[in-house]
Amino acid sequence: MLRLYLAIWLAKIIQFLTRRLNLGGGSAAPGLYALKIDPQLVKKLSSKIPTNIVISGTNGKTTTSRMLAHFAQTNNFKVIRNSTGSNLERGIASALINKTNPFSLKLKNADLGIWELDEAAFNNVVLSIKPNIMVFLNVFRDQLDRYGEVNTVVKKWEETLKKVNFNSLILANGDDLNTLRLKGSFRGEFETFGMPNMMIKGEAQATKNKSLNFKAEDVKVSSLDNVTFNLNFRGMRQQVLLPLPGSYHIYDFLAAFAAGYHLNLDPEQMIDSLDGFVPAFGRVEKLIIKGKNVYLFLIKNPVGATQVFGTIAAEIKPEDTVLLALNDNFADGKDVSWIWDANFEELKIKDFGLRILCSGQRAEDLAIRLKYAGLNTKQIEIQKSLEKAFDKSLEITKGRVFITPTYTAMLGLQSILAKKGYKKAYWKENN
Amino acid sequence: MITYQLTIGYLYGDLMNIYGDTGNVIALKKRAEWRDIEVTIKQISVGDHLKPGEMDIYFFGGGQDQSQDIVAKDIQTKADAIKEDIEKGVPLLSICGGYQLLGAYYQPFNGPKLEGIKVFDVYTEASHDRMIGNIVIETKEFGKLVGFENHSGKTYLRKDARPLGKIISGFGNNGMDKSEGCIYNNAIGCYMHGSLLPKNPKLADWLLEKSLETKYGEKIELKKLDDDLEDKAHNTSTKKFS
Repeated sequence: MLRLYLAIWLAKIIQFLTRRLNLGGGSAAPGLYALKIDPQLVKKLSSKIPTNIVISGTNGKTTTSRMLAHFAQTNNFKVIRNSTGSNLERGIASALINKTNPFSLKLKNADLGIWELDEAAFNNVVLSIKPNIMVFLNVFRDQLDRYGEVNTVVKKWEETLKKVNFNSLILANGDDLNTLRLKGSFRGEFETFGMPNMMIKGEAQATKNKSLNFKAEDVKVSSLDNVTFNLNFRGMRQQVLLPLPGSYHIYDFLAAFAAGYHLNLDPEQMIDSLDGFVPAFGRVEKLIIKGKNVYLFLIKNPVGATQVFGTIAAEIKPEDTVLLALNDNFADGKDVSWIWDANFEELKIKDFGLRILCSGQRAEDLAIRLKYAGLNTKQIEIQKSLEKAFDKSLEITKGRVFITPTYTAMLGLQSILAKKGYKKAYWKENN
Repeated sequence: MITYQLTIGYLYGDLMNIYGDTGNVIALKKRAEWRDIEVTIKQISVGDHLKPGEMDIYFFGGGQDQSQDIVAKDIQTKADAIKEDIEKGVPLLSICGGYQLLGAYYQPFNGPKLEGIKVFDVYTEASHDRMIGNIVIETKEFGKLVGFENHSGKTYLRKDARPLGKIISGFGNNGMDKSEGCIYNNAIGCYMHGSLLPKNPKLADWLLEKSLETKYGEKIELKKLDDDLEDKAHNTSTKKFS
């Protein structure tokens, strides 16, 4: 108990200082140091929450957990989650500490814990949290320099799931063979979600004889602002208007909806509440700056980037401008080879020479990628400074600006937007 | 004027294409097409029949362990054709897993040796060190080369094998002897992903040149391209990572 007190007090002080000194959001450091003092902290604190859900997978964790939180909050649940994309154990520890009263050690305002865990953190944390529901979104090639091979990721999940000795339900993407395969290693209930007529471009696809518990049919992508489809579950059919661009977000919705359904949330109310759903910072964002529409799409890996480029390409007009930003910090992946597996060819629009600015620490790598994707070098401009590139994109565009940064470039961009007064600092946003 | 035509044989492109390996094939294709050389890419996979003389360049990338087991078995059926072509001067670029399978063998921790096809006089042993990071090497033929390595296998050169280059920064073959890769005739094996060729256009052009010379039996001088972007990327990264 003393250990836990010490850990929480230290973390609270660090949290106070980092925010006071403007060192950033302080979303990871407090948890990191607290865990050094009490490694059991996550187990001790999360057990005080009545219901916990973990969400893992390569793409869509943040959007899914944010959407599920939105559904739950609409139903008056008090939600606690690691909300700024810090999906390692320390991020969870920080979020728990944040809501813990340092005197009574009680958690305030926490009926439901929603935890996004990256592929590796899942194995470290899930047995401590003992979640009621585990959601598996997909496994794609992401930062293999950090996680190892796709097969290794799935094997480690399987090993972890074999050790689950508490009651839990798995909700898995039924279109992804890698998540589907987890069924064999899990004794508890197992349900799936997916799209019967869609193919994910990616690693491993399940195609034939899919039996899905929650499915989206008749998908129509009408604009950059939304997609519509028919949701089919438990013999019911509902029309859904999802206010997010690109069909790939349908998986995030299906996962969040299925989890909400098992929390006994009202299906109709969940669907209606989508109207007021705002996606997570930087994942997909629409801002109006100096009278111009600016769209922000986070890119992290080949599959996600290809989906984003496809979505943009379907909508782009000659007067628009694109700004790509590639960093190679740890959180982006030190290896930038992945850009050669992403389909930049989508940005080669035949009828007109779209202008594309390349920025970030590896701006030159992006520029070459575009050249080999078949774009004319006259269309490509390198501006390594993110701030200058951002200013320039606003200055030269006659239409909209599409910005696709990698993770730390997105954080950099958020700071620039905050500094210029276009947006609040991201860690001050409501979650 | 004759139109040159090249066929790129992409060995196991369906199974061995990790870390942007496909970028190398894209680079070869584009750099040939920008010079009006016609290019065909042929996928060569498990069960396919391969005859000598069908391919003008080979590319062989890296893969996950599971794929590597399957490929190790299958490549034995293609060994004679590949080796006959390499003896004639057909260029080949192999990276990571592909490089390992072109050596004498790969010895994993558990389980039996995976036999290679012995294009390169090297052998590889599994290790507990993961050698990850940017890598810069100095070579005789191509100057500096820059890429990204990610392997735990350690490759050792036997006495007749010639390394591709000397490490400036990074781990290379085994993290010990400062060597990286291997070169035999016009065949190259190395650990450099990145993708390698787009950022090292000199090497890409050398492969194309050797390929045309072998196929058409004459000295070929490739047309110069505007490599402004490639050179910029090459220079920035060699400087940054040296």
